[in-house]
Amino acid sequence: MAQTANNYIRVCNVEKYYGNESNVTKAVDDVSFHVDKGEFIGVMGASGSGKTTLLNMMATIDRVTAGHIYYENTDITELSENALSEFRRKNLGFVFQDYNLLDTLTIEENIILAQTLQGQKKKDINERCGSILRLLGIEDIRDKFPYQVSGGQKQRCACARALVSHPKLLLADEPTGALDSRAAQTLLETFTRLNRELAATILMVTHDAFSASYCKRILFLKDGKIFHELIRGEKKRNLFLQEILDVLSLTGGEMSDVC
Amino acid sequence: MFAKLAFRNMKRSARDYLVYILTMTIITALIYAFGSLIFQNELADLFDLEPLMDIMLILATVFIVIIVAWLINYMVRFMLEKRSSEFGIYLLLGMKKKTVSRLYIRENLLLGCLSFCCGILLGILLQQVLVSVMYSMVRMEYHLHITFHYKTFLMTALCYFGCYLLALTRCRHKFRKMNIHALMEARRRNENIREKHEKGKRILLPLSMIFILLFWSIFGRLDSTVEVMIFLVGLVLTIYLFYTGLSAWTICYIRKKGNAVYRGQNLFLLRQFASKVKTMQFTMGTLTSLFTLALLGASIALMFSEYENTMLDGKFPFDVLAYSSDTNDDFSDEIAVINAETASADYYPYHIYTDYSNQVNTWMLTHLEAWGTMYQKTDGSPDTDKIKEMLLNRGTYYPYDTYMGLSDYNHLRQMLGYGKKEITSGEYLIQIKPRLYHEVTDAPKDLQIADASGKTFLSCAGIIPDYFSQDGHNGADYVIVVPDDALKRMRPCYSELAVDLKGARPLDLQNKLMNLLPEDDDMELDTDNKYNPGLRCGSDSIIVMCSVYLARESLIPETKYMLGSFIIPMFYIGLVFVCVAVTVLSIQQLSDSAKYRFRYDVLAKLGLERNQIRRMILKQLAAYYLCPALFAMVISGKMILFVSKQFVIETGVPVFAGIFFLKSIALFFGIYLVYFVVTYVGFKRNVEEKHR
Repeated sequence: MAQTANNYIRVCNVEKYYGNESNVTKAVDDVSFHVDKGEFIGVMGASGSGKTTLLNMMATIDRVTAGHIYYENTDITELSENALSEFRRKNLGFVFQDYNLLDTLTIEENIILAQTLQGQKKKDINERCGSILRLLGIEDIRDKFPYQVSGGQKQRCACARALVSHPKLLLADEPTGALDSRAAQTLLETFTRLNRELAATILMVTHDAFSASYCKRILFLKDGKIFHELIRGEKKRNLFLQEILDVLSLTGGEMSDVC
Repeated sequence: MFAKLAFRNMKRSARDYLVYILTMTIITALIYAFGSLIFQNELADLFDLEPLMDIMLILATVFIVIIVAWLINYMVRFMLEKRSSEFGIYLLLGMKKKTVSRLYIRENLLLGCLSFCCGILLGILLQQVLVSVMYSMVRMEYHLHITFHYKTFLMTALCYFGCYLLALTRCRHKFRKMNIHALMEARRRNENIREKHEKGKRILLPLSMIFILLFWSIFGRLDSTVEVMIFLVGLVLTIYLFYTGLSAWTICYIRKKGNAVYRGQNLFLLRQFASKVKTMQFTMGTLTSLFTLALLGASIALMFSEYENTMLDGKFPFDVLAYSSDTNDDFSDEIAVINAETASADYYPYHIYTDYSNQVNTWMLTHLEAWGTMYQKTDGSPDTDKIKEMLLNRGTYYPYDTYMGLSDYNHLRQMLGYGKKEITSGEYLIQIKPRLYHEVTDAPKDLQIADASGKTFLSCAGIIPDYFSQDGHNGADYVIVVPDDALKRMRPCYSELAVDLKGARPLDLQNKLMNLLPEDDDMELDTDNKYNPGLRCGSDSIIVMCSVYLARESLIPETKYMLGSFIIPMFYIGLVFVCVAVTVLSIQQLSDSAKYRFRYDVLAKLGLERNQIRRMILKQLAAYYLCPALFAMVISGKMILFVSKQFVIETGVPVFAGIFFLKSIALFFGIYLVYFVVTYVGFKRNVEEKHR
């Protein structure tokens, strides 16, 4: 498949099976889609629909059983373990439900570490770190340890760490899962701002319709397959949320977890 | 139901704390094996020594029990903290606090019993190894026979379970005071890093270093008890405060964003190290003390062991030597005893002479390393008053210089299998202890030994450093050998009898000879002879072989046994202390690796390769393991080097003084390496488990 400007990341016929010969579970079943550069895309699905498995494969944490995933011209399914580590380091940023911050490092140090691992220079590190802390509004808590700050602040720190080295893709797995509604809203607004101002490409997995309504496009996953796609276009967020809820009602209300 | 739960939990703990169980098994085995030397030591009956080994072993066991009690207490508390949220859930489900606390105690006792039983079995084998080592040390044959001694068993059980019960009682008390919330929160409590006043605390690091430098520079010069006590208190404080300073300094360095922070994984490693040292500073201090004591113990044991291997045979070159301050003694009593004990023997009675001068004594007292400047005035000249007082009242040397005729000397040399020495009528020889040889090479330049006329001086024909029994018998440290006619101007100082035994050499000959002496007077400090107030032993000071009678076949095993009384308990202490300390380090790291597995997971997500993570774990473990070990080496190094230098000077073991320190470090790192590898493998497995 030839790469076009709109096909920044391509997921082609990806399958992931678990189990053995007698008992195979298809977690992801022949899924294909693409992500455009600067897109904020959401993947929705009920528990067990395969959305986290899909994200893990795109995040190079898990291997595909079949199919290919292209980041521009690189097929990550063909890379060795060490090459994958390097790819991850240079191209991907992660935000997870449980923050995944290192508890022995301060907020600022968590962000610095991500850059020192890439071998960046001290001056660049400090400049970038300062600007991302300002951008995400966590400058005041830079010297605090994760246990000393709120969940929302922790998650913003995780965002800052993920974005500080300008990754090709920011992967977010249920980022609002452990946050209260206010903190969740702030985080989602942050995502939108990052997407708009820094042109960050974001792929967010969620089962929450409210969170999903911030995305530009949503893929609905059921039993490992994409069964629907919604594009926000120029619609207002509330209208888009209503559309999402309509789709969810078709699935029998399994995901009607609306804030 | 509870028994089943306790058993299952015990099985799980056994897996998690394998290193601890192994250490407890080894310690039980060591307590049993070494304890057996107190209760079933057949060798003790053979030697007429005070129960020296028993006392030393009991002392060592007391120290060991204290440390083992600390280890068990530490581990019981540690496990309680790790599992407190689980106990909180039991309470939440409606279990009574008493039941939960009993469950935990039962689990621990099961775990303790498991280690104890394995330890006793291992101990029975180890005891046989230890006894055969001791028998071979005293040159006797030992046939292995596996035995079980109930007294040793009871003592081991008492020590072991005493420690356990003490720790568990404290734990029960802790349980009683805890509520569900406290239990659920206990695990989380230590995770919070509180950094307060780090800048102020930073000063403790340079202060500790200054103290250590001070310690290195003036340790050898401490002479009053008060000074030593002040220094010891300072040392203990330094050991504990060093870690506060180290963590504060590291934290400040990270905060200041030093250049190293921006290199690769350094930030993570420095933070890990700083937070671990900060939360564990007291334990780290205790581990440093244990390592220091272990190194000291091992070094002292190695010193005595070196002496035993290299020096002892030369100490008693004659089959029997007898001393008498009576210059007319014909040794008839001694000859009668020896005749009764042996088939046949050659006897050679002779005299040691003196010329009433003490130029040689003075030279020795002012030039030998053992005395330093003790007998010198500030300008370096001999302090004659001090020397006179020492020779007459606190005798190391005979009050006057000691001489021997050439014919006696050559006869004795012949008895020992050495070649004859020839000198002309104008020459003399210096027969000296081998260890002093290199110190007396300049002596002939200063000495003026007169000939028979007393007017002309003899010239020195050589210094002979052969083993010649010079602990008071053939002189103390030295004897000047002169042509026989030069003795005419001298008078006998004391009498000696050298005996060459033929055939059987009875083990208890020494005791039989000693029975000839009046009670409590084995030094024969009589005062009939105004030129010789009694046997004088020379400058040996750490291991002194001073006896009127020296019967080689009795004394070598007896001395070896006596040295064993120091060597064995010292190794025992060193071994247990190192095991306890590395166990604490290993358990700490292994449980951290399971608890903080997510940290490495995050690093993997940040793009660290598996090999990079492994290398990082290696660095992290190495820093954590090396820190207390290196610090202990710096502290103990000075003490060991000082003590071993004195030991080499005063015993003459033919080795470089630093060798004991190096050997004990090698021994120490051998054990260390085993635990390090086990911990590294376990740590890696724990961290990589999730990735798989």
